[in-house]
Amino acid sequence: MNATDKIAARLTLLEGVNISPADLETIAYEIEDNQRIVDELEAFAQGTPWISLQVQPPGKKA
Amino acid sequence: MAPTDITEMGLADLSAHIAARELSSAEAVNSALTRLDRLEGKLNAFITVLSEQARAEAKKADDEIVRGQHRGPLHGVPVTIKDMFETAGTRTTGGSKILQEWIPDRDAALVARLRAAGAIIIGKTNLDEFGHGGTSTLSYFGPVHNPWHLERIAGGSSGGSAAAVAAGIGPISYGTETGSSVRRPASYCGIVGFKPTFGIISRHGSFRGAWSQDHVGLFARTVKDIALALDPVAGFDARDPASVQQEIPAYAPRLKANAQGLRVGVLRRFLDGVDPAVRQSFEAALKIFAGLGSELVDLDVPEISYAAMTSMLTSAAESAGINRRWFREHYHDFVPHVARGLAVGMAITASEYLTVQRARHRIREALRATYEKVEIIAAPTTARVAPLLSEGVKGNGDDTRHAGYNQSNLLRLPSMLGLPGCSLPCGMSPEGLPIGMQLIGEWFADQTVLNAAAAFQSATDWHKRRPDIAKL
Repeated sequence: MNATDKIAARLTLLEGVNISPADLETIAYEIEDNQRIVDELEAFAQGTPWISLQVQPPGKKA
Repeated sequence: MAPTDITEMGLADLSAHIAARELSSAEAVNSALTRLDRLEGKLNAFITVLSEQARAEAKKADDEIVRGQHRGPLHGVPVTIKDMFETAGTRTTGGSKILQEWIPDRDAALVARLRAAGAIIIGKTNLDEFGHGGTSTLSYFGPVHNPWHLERIAGGSSGGSAAAVAAGIGPISYGTETGSSVRRPASYCGIVGFKPTFGIISRHGSFRGAWSQDHVGLFARTVKDIALALDPVAGFDARDPASVQQEIPAYAPRLKANAQGLRVGVLRRFLDGVDPAVRQSFEAALKIFAGLGSELVDLDVPEISYAAMTSMLTSAAESAGINRRWFREHYHDFVPHVARGLAVGMAITASEYLTVQRARHRIREALRATYEKVEIIAAPTTARVAPLLSEGVKGNGDDTRHAGYNQSNLLRLPSMLGLPGCSLPCGMSPEGLPIGMQLIGEWFADQTVLNAAAAFQSATDWHKRRPDIAKL
């Protein structure tokens, strides 16, 4: 999938919301830039454990 | 006692006078409301003012105190709260058109605890819509103006709270912080802003911005007042999944203005982009700590250079999830900048969010190791003083889109990791605007942070500077 198609796929998540062309341009730019940021963070986080987010009910103890 | 004298008092003094019946709650509330009435046209710090209700509650407080039923340091004291907290029978807007007339039927946990402590809520303060912003210009109800200079922003998102305290409209205000929404406005408005460790104050009944980063925080002029106002509202609440089991809060009785032997970490690589006046004030503040017997420790934690990006993406994804239904049904009712931000967040995938959380964990581990070497990290709160309103949302100069040694990383670090953080005044710029320094402690080292901040205030008088209210 090329870059344009990737952005288009993301924008389908916004289907049903009437967004102006000017807004869409800004949004598309940031979505594309976010992919760059995630790539950087993925490289940065290599080797780090995946975290667990289980939460026990209040008052429960081992 | 003259009304002006009353509004100049901090919580500790005001409370002592009320408890001793040298001053009535009615007088204190009237003074705060009189000042509010005079300044609100300039500041736009409030969305809802509760004059009648506050006066009735003040009379009730006075009756109780006369009967010997004094409830503690907040009893009969006028306070303000950010319009993020639900108030039974009083509209709660979140600064949004969507909820402009919404009247909840319950009190938020914070509000219930304030009422139990006898505090008098005189108004609900203006903010960036649902806390999404750092300027307090993104409100359906218009921008908040900084009492130090009306053409400058108060910072956000809790800008109305910070402006109110700086202007003497009540000695205490309660706000929320997801990125920097307590510490930044406190810095811009020349007051103290404290955000405790994640889970210390219940968020039940306040709007979520990003659940894993949302905190309740406080504004005051002194650290002592922060501690006095923290104790009645801290504590476990099973209704907030993030709430932590804790001892009965006693930050005020344990407050010691002592920084002797404290190891204060400084991340000098993050000072490069800081404005010269801010940097100069910060360097002077470090000398104060050295004079108080603290040890200054140079730190290098390169992982922090990824903090702002990690925080920004976490916040964007979580806020999109929270606002998913309203995004589809009310896109055009949101402030446009906020709506676009939600759209961008909607496009973040689950696997991307999880990758970001893995990066967050790496930064968390780096900080855990750092707190083996120091008790406190000190930094300028913001890289510059309050920007002009005309600079818009970019005026803060934040960079949350690039890894690097920019100040935005240190600003967003405490909320992203849930660390206690306190901003306090440490200087004035050449144009007469306040400069703030932040102290960041380890998880649950809230008392250490407050003690260090109190020690700094005991050796300086920056917190005694006031905006020239007479000229407003």
